Amino acid sequence: MADRPRPGLRARLRKFARPRDPEPLPALFHRGRVYVLPTGFGLFFATALMSMLLGALNYNNNPALLLALLLSGAGLASLIAAQMQLTGLSVVAIDAEPVAAGQPLRVRVHAKAPPERARRGLRVDDDGDSDAAAPLDLDGGSGEAELSFATRQRGWFELPRLRVWTTRPLGLARAWSYVWPDAPLLVYPAPEPHGPPLPAGSGDQVQSRLHPSGDDVHHLRGYRAGDARRAIAWKPSARRDALLVREYEQPLGADVVLDWRAMPALGYEARIARLARWIDEAERDGRRYRLMLPGQPELGPSSGSPHRHACLRALALLPHG
Amino acid sequence: MAKSASPLLDADSRRWTLITAAACVLPLLLQLTPLLGALIAVCGVAIALMAWRRPLHFFVRALLALVLIGAVMMQMNFGLGRDTGCALLAAMLAIKPAETSTLRDARSLIGFALFAPFGTFLLDQGPLSLALGLIAALLALATLQRLAEFESGERVRRLGHWQRLSGIARLIAIGLPLALAAFWLFPRLGTPLWGVPDRSLSRPGLSGSMTPGGWAELMNDETPTLRVRFNGAVPKPSQMYWRGPVLWNFDGREWTQPRWYRGLPAAQTQSGDARWDYEIELEPTDGRQLVALDLPLAPPPDVRLSIDHGLFTARPLTALSRWRLRSAPPLRYQPQLQSVLRQAALDLPEGYNPRTLALAQRWRRELGGNDAALVQRALDWVHREFAYTLDTPLPGRHSVDEFLFDYKAGYCEHFSSSFVVLMRSAGIPARVVTGYAGGYRNPIGDYWLVRRSDAHAWAEVWLPQRGWVRVDPTAAVAPERVYDTLADRAPGANLLGGLTVVTPIFNLGDWARRGWNDFVLGFDANRQQNLLRPLGIDRLDTGRLVALFGVAAGLTLLWMVWLSSRGERERDPVLRAWHAAGRRYRRLGLAREPHEPAQDWSDRVARSRPDLGPALAALSQRFADWRYAVAETGRRDAREKRELIRALRAHRPGPNGEGR
Repeated sequence: MADRPRPGLRARLRKFARPRDPEPLPALFHRGRVYVLPTGFGLFFATALMSMLLGALNYNNNPALLLALLLSGAGLASLIAAQMQLTGLSVVAIDAEPVAAGQPLRVRVHAKAPPERARRGLRVDDDGDSDAAAPLDLDGGSGEAELSFATRQRGWFELPRLRVWTTRPLGLARAWSYVWPDAPLLVYPAPEPHGPPLPAGSGDQVQSRLHPSGDDVHHLRGYRAGDARRAIAWKPSARRDALLVREYEQPLGADVVLDWRAMPALGYEARIARLARWIDEAERDGRRYRLMLPGQPELGPSSGSPHRHACLRALALLPHG
Repeated sequence: MAKSASPLLDADSRRWTLITAAACVLPLLLQLTPLLGALIAVCGVAIALMAWRRPLHFFVRALLALVLIGAVMMQMNFGLGRDTGCALLAAMLAIKPAETSTLRDARSLIGFALFAPFGTFLLDQGPLSLALGLIAALLALATLQRLAEFESGERVRRLGHWQRLSGIARLIAIGLPLALAAFWLFPRLGTPLWGVPDRSLSRPGLSGSMTPGGWAELMNDETPTLRVRFNGAVPKPSQMYWRGPVLWNFDGREWTQPRWYRGLPAAQTQSGDARWDYEIELEPTDGRQLVALDLPLAPPPDVRLSIDHGLFTARPLTALSRWRLRSAPPLRYQPQLQSVLRQAALDLPEGYNPRTLALAQRWRRELGGNDAALVQRALDWVHREFAYTLDTPLPGRHSVDEFLFDYKAGYCEHFSSSFVVLMRSAGIPARVVTGYAGGYRNPIGDYWLVRRSDAHAWAEVWLPQRGWVRVDPTAAVAPERVYDTLADRAPGANLLGGLTVVTPIFNLGDWARRGWNDFVLGFDANRQQNLLRPLGIDRLDTGRLVALFGVAAGLTLLWMVWLSSRGERERDPVLRAWHAAGRRYRRLGLAREPHEPAQDWSDRVARSRPDLGPALAALSQRFADWRYAVAETGRRDAREKRELIRALRAHRPGPNGEGR
């Protein structure tokens, strides 16, 4: 991504710009890694001022000369001010909720800066590769920007070199600094869009300790996202105008076994996709599941967000076939 | 960034942009003829209003441009030059709002609009233009800031107007030293690269011609025209005749400067003993003639001394100029008069002023060949029977006859003109000299101020053996009107019923104005080279100047960086010393990471460099105690703090040896 070959001066400039490799965070923007170059408008403005200066010198017109010099001085000061917007800033951390491949990965860039100086109009983008730039609002010394990246495949996400930039205060120059965080961001495998239902609970069918009265409800509680559809008590819900869920002492049902070896007919990535789908389905149904991958200790049986993440992570990190 | 279409402006940015453009054009419009200025202003406002919702159609814009250019060219009589250029610039700026809808448009409009105050300064350097130009520049910067704000998408938390202006003031304050260093040290051009066009709007003042009665307005104009500082001797008030154009030709109505004498060398002169050495600061006149004390001895470089001791510069005096001159009263001024000159000095139009001619011939018969006696008789007559007044009727055909025999009252134009005609009628070569007489001494700054109201005309008659002799018939009538160096003619004395309170204020104001002239307007290549004379460096050649400029620019840039980064610097000296100590370990690859606590760092150092460990551990313990254990020690001792700072500063990790 960032080291994609690019022709021309820009590419060469980028290659020289620091940092040249991913770096651990926090990364402090010290003077040596903040760059300032005039914008197109800055060049136009400089040309206009130069012609004014030349004219004023020719006519020995001192008020005109002073005016042009005053504007030039303010312009130069704005260049320094632009650099100062960035120096002292540090990118503290990067994080992102893992998403399935194909979904946009929302990367949050956390930054902080000494609060003495107001830093306005900072933006973060992926080194100018796309038009999208996220504002970085540093109110009171810290703030965050959220960038969105397209993901294509499961596994570790290679974050491109990021650029924090501003054209403030006058728009004459762009000051920027690169940060290339060496931060682990994971992309989960994309789940199979359509597939067979969960395999039936197999093996040692540990029936949950049911209440002696069989199907009798222990108690009802309000619906929470992720509750299995079959646990919803439809009749009481209809009476109360709210979804109610039967809660047993233990979730009902057998543990689902998600076994890599149980689907030999599928291709390598297809198995991963199906397992990812089943993990999500099992979670949705509120069932406990075990994940068995070749050459890895089995995960579970368990359920819930940490288990789900552990399973999906294991799938994401399977070597690419 | 990938190139994308420039974003459309929001209403606030657009308002700022248009107001700035208007502020830039305003001083320029004031310099144009009122009709043209009003036309362009009305067009600009109308166009801005029409185009507010959506840009005008291309054909409408093209049509507007053609119409306005046509109007400007017609108003300027199709002449090309500085004035036309400025008027066209104003017209273009009036049309530009027709298509100002995107960020890009707004920025280019601001960029071009800044040429308007610049153009104004080429036409006029008065205080009003300067103030308006400065305001326009400030607004332009504020608008650029607003546009940058718009560009960076900060729509929610926008800056307040006050915040914006103070931000701009800060930028200017930081940039000011560099601007001033460049102003005084950036090498100036001794000669222009391209020509200085003439200003077609002329100012009233002394010119190469004089019509008796024509100066009435001038005599009431208190505008300063020159300021003089004498080095050493100061002439007496009765000697303060500032010589300007010498008029030889009379057509019965108007006195004019002849053309024929341009190439002739200056006349032979024998000077008296007095010498006046002075520096003259001349307000712009657009003419090429300098004014100098009677009589200038030698012309400054690039200035020509004409046969009647007029000083002519190579270029029109369109800007404030300063001249160092020497003058002396003449003892014998051109004692041999060539017959051509004699003829020119006796020439009178046929058929005018018969009564004057008759009187002159009668006196000539009575006095024989005694020219001096004739001059004296005329002076006595004027002294006896004439009065001074600025209120004179329009002259008829025989203007001199009417003045000498009917009204017997007038001012310097009438006196000098009639006197010369009288002398010429009597066969005495005579000419009219125009210029200024007297002056006002400003006690603040010790210089002499000559105003337009000091304009004066006197006569010169040629007498055998003595040559040209100055005769001032006006002084014979009203010396107080001529040598008005007295306090009662001080500026403002006539105002407010003779309250002299105004005078000190005027003195101070004119002195400030002179300072501005001195430091800013009149600063040129010549004075730049003498910049360091007080320090004993005689002349700065270009190389030295460039070097000096480079050094000064570098220093001011550093200063700018320092000024802007001041907030960055750690304020707590202990922390500063601590950070510096951490940085000293960079060489060893053991620099303290910004996030690393004191203890962790010293532990890390101790692991890889056991020799440095104990000293650093003790030091970081002290630092941590001082910074974080305030609750336990209960106080922060100043002495303790000093010692800690000293210890931190002294701490240097040696490459191999013991860390101190």
